[in-house]
Amino acid sequence: MPDSDREQTIASDAEEGVTLERPLDPAYVHLQRVVRRLFALAVATISFAGLLVVLTAADEMPLVLTVALPAAWLGLIVLLLWHAERWPSIEYDHVRYRLDTQGIEIRRGVYWRRVINVPRSRVQHTDVSQGPLERRYGLGTLVIFTAGTDHARVDLPGLEHGHALRVRDQLRPEADTDAV
Amino acid sequence: MPSERRLHPASILFDSARHVRNFALPALVAMFSTSRSADVRIGPLEYGVAGMEVWLLVLLVPSILLSVARYLSFRLRYEDEELVVRSGLVFRNERHLPYARIQNLDAVQNVVHRLLGVVEVRVETGGGKEPEARLSVLPFAAFREMRHRVFAGRSRPDAEVDGGREAVDAGAVEARTLLHLPTRELLLFGFLENKGLVLVGAAYWVLSETGALNRMWEWLFAVNVDVRGLVREVLAAVFRGAPLPAGRLALAVAAVAGFLVVVRLISMAWAFVRLYDFRLTRAGDDLRVEFGLLTRVTATVPLWRVQTVTIHEGWLHRWLDRASVRVETAGGRAGAVTSDREWVAPLLRRAALPALIAGILPGVNTTVAEWQPVHARAFQRAIKPALAVVLIVSALAAIPLGTGAVAVLVPMLIWAVVGTRQYVAHLGWATTEDVVMFRSGWLGRRQTIARVNKIQAVATIESPLDRRASMARLRVDTAGAGGLSHRVDIPYLGTATARDLRDRLAVEAAQTMFRW
Repeated sequence: MPDSDREQTIASDAEEGVTLERPLDPAYVHLQRVVRRLFALAVATISFAGLLVVLTAADEMPLVLTVALPAAWLGLIVLLLWHAERWPSIEYDHVRYRLDTQGIEIRRGVYWRRVINVPRSRVQHTDVSQGPLERRYGLGTLVIFTAGTDHARVDLPGLEHGHALRVRDQLRPEADTDAV
Repeated sequence: MPSERRLHPASILFDSARHVRNFALPALVAMFSTSRSADVRIGPLEYGVAGMEVWLLVLLVPSILLSVARYLSFRLRYEDEELVVRSGLVFRNERHLPYARIQNLDAVQNVVHRLLGVVEVRVETGGGKEPEARLSVLPFAAFREMRHRVFAGRSRPDAEVDGGREAVDAGAVEARTLLHLPTRELLLFGFLENKGLVLVGAAYWVLSETGALNRMWEWLFAVNVDVRGLVREVLAAVFRGAPLPAGRLALAVAAVAGFLVVVRLISMAWAFVRLYDFRLTRAGDDLRVEFGLLTRVTATVPLWRVQTVTIHEGWLHRWLDRASVRVETAGGRAGAVTSDREWVAPLLRRAALPALIAGILPGVNTTVAEWQPVHARAFQRAIKPALAVVLIVSALAAIPLGTGAVAVLVPMLIWAVVGTRQYVAHLGWATTEDVVMFRSGWLGRRQTIARVNKIQAVATIESPLDRRASMARLRVDTAGAGGLSHRVDIPYLGTATARDLRDRLAVEAAQTMFRW
């Protein structure tokens, strides 16, 4: 792609506000809630089965334990469900990304805050993937591959699928330079 | 069409030998292990030989046939732009390796190889974890020819992509020795590296597997040495004023000291054999490393493949005015056990460092007026996790020791405070227009130089403790940085400093092109 064309796409995206810091698609919060609820359900089922086995198999269990174990199980599940409700929106508030002529900057993390800067000239290739749940919410995950070690693969989930494709197009390395 | 070549006929020999070794060694170990539990009066060898012969007969025939087939089907030819390797009898495979993509051309020659004048060549293009082509074995002259063809075929505008400061004419290849290690330095290197422990460990494993260890032990120590008894007596002497078992203690100390000396001597012998006649040369755009007494290794690293350069200085190194230099290269070796070729300079005088660095990173400015320290309050920030560890360990020690845990707490506390203070004081970073550098370590010091055009990504990380202290950690990601290798990973920077540095490095990196 000639340079002028590239400037064009970036300029048109700049009008959309891409060079500003952008949040993820709000649908990502819903998706995360569903994923985490499913996870909580899976944990609940498996641990419940374990609990049943323990309660029936043990012959002489102190009364304290027969009460405490189910209570602990219930507590764990409630905690997981509460986490599934609350955490996605907290996490969502702490993810921002910014795309400009130099490359992409992704910041995330609630307790440990990470900011990753990947220069455009270091992008080896990119993927946009979409799982079944993501498809339902119209979302996609942008995956950026670099030649690095820690950040050989940088994931940016929670973009609207069409938008993820557009971001990918902007990050696509210049066709005329052979990077390897 | 250029003529095709075969491997050296000795390939059949080495190939089948490899098969035999792959099968025979585990069989041997298995036999020795079983013989240990079997009747003791039968020696392991007597017990084993009958089984061995059967194994060899069964295994040798198909493996030799296979080796002959492989030899007959293997073809090699030089095209104008690429090396073509054909192999396989049933499943035919033709692999094209463009000269421009070949990153390493390594040659390994063990004693038998040298007697027959052949060499095993590995060709890497930096794709996967394995060498792209393994040519076992070629006549030595053919390796010379291959090296010539590959590196002559690489004449392309390399320097332009990689900084553009030094346009090297690939045609005029003139080797210049950057470093040569004489015997004295090799022995010194072995002493400093202290590889002996690894070798002793390996020997211990083999001996214990074969059951030879027990007999040796009995022979060495006719008297029964009870280590736990000794420790208990010493503890009793310290805490309850019981008489110190001076004689036995001296014996134990002497044994440990003797062991350490032997380990160092083994390490020196290892270094002498392994790195004998170590020579680092620069020929045009490539670094060439040659070493080895029995197994001679020749490795070639193109300069543009050097991702980071790390200078190591242990406290003994500094006392002896020495340093060692390592390079990280991109490609298959990430995370793997460090390969031999990464030691570009096992040991050299510190005064020779600038010249060597200039040889490895030509035209790159690495001189800085002054190093930047980390944040002024870095010690207060760094001591917190260290204190937490001290407290947890002491609390755990208090369970069996009671108030005696003070004996654990006090030295650990002193070590934490002194160690952290020194660690923080010796942290430093610097940038020039070409590189970003980071140094760390108090007793053992390391300094890593990362070229801006090799930076893949820049990240800042703020842990909860960092945020309370308004600090951040800056991490520069490059290709080929192994798991434990030193890298540009600067802790305890002020938030603003870290952010500015991150943005600046990202922009500078974005304006350069990266090549593997």
